[in-house]
Amino acid sequence: MSWSVGHEFTEKTFRVNRSDLKQYADASGDQNPIHQDEAFAQSVGLPNVIAHGMYTMALAGEAIRNWFGSEKSLTEFSTRFAKPVVVPAGEDVLLTFTGKISAIEGDQVIIDVTATCNGVKVLTQTKARVRL
Amino acid sequence: MAVHGPDLVGRRFSSNHTRSVTAEAISTFAAAIGADSRFTPPTFLISFSVAAAEEFLPTIGFDWTRVVHGDQRFVHHRDVRAGDELSYSSEIESYKNLAGNEFVSIRTDFISALDGENISSTWSTLVFRGEQS
Repeated sequence: MSWSVGHEFTEKTFRVNRSDLKQYADASGDQNPIHQDEAFAQSVGLPNVIAHGMYTMALAGEAIRNWFGSEKSLTEFSTRFAKPVVVPAGEDVLLTFTGKISAIEGDQVIIDVTATCNGVKVLTQTKARVRL
Repeated sequence: MAVHGPDLVGRRFSSNHTRSVTAEAISTFAAAIGADSRFTPPTFLISFSVAAAEEFLPTIGFDWTRVVHGDQRFVHHRDVRAGDELSYSSEIESYKNLAGNEFVSIRTDFISALDGENISSTWSTLVFRGEQS
């Protein structure tokens, strides 16, 4: 597959619920209660349980691997966490990713990614370098 | 809550033990994000960074339950693989206190204990929210 600058990938959506957050907490070791316990989250001033920022970033990485192929390596990957992803009890929240190639340098492609939840950008300045 | 200052910049923390990357840890992490478990997810090392930060930050007075993640960057010189033995060292690269919220940026280098190769580096900015925010 050959790629060109400006190429836009088909958007990728993930459904996220509380049990996904628990599974991610167990896999990553990040057991901060703001990601699992509604009463605790509210006690520290959050609107509700929020997803781990790193879970959203991990899903962005998975979207990128869907676009390029799971075997491709990301040699650089960065983001800012702009807004929390609020995950109410008993609900599936939709996280949608889009990607666009911004540069090609030798065997590496640089991609800009957007991440939105309910129309709000939850990640900003999300970039990855993929080795082809 | 303890108040910190810019003198935190340059503080270092090294693991005094290595950690093994197991196939099970990679596949558990991959499963949690719906990924193909044959390939290491690009954010997998966060599970080691979190462990390092959870050890390090309370020793200098940060309350782990008041942290939110500001930004994150990974540079991978090669993919982490099952069978890797990693040691890691962290350093505080910047500190800011903005309206009572403390922004701490930490770099962590992951080194192969087998041959000293620098496999990956991660940069995390953690935001410790002040009581009034």
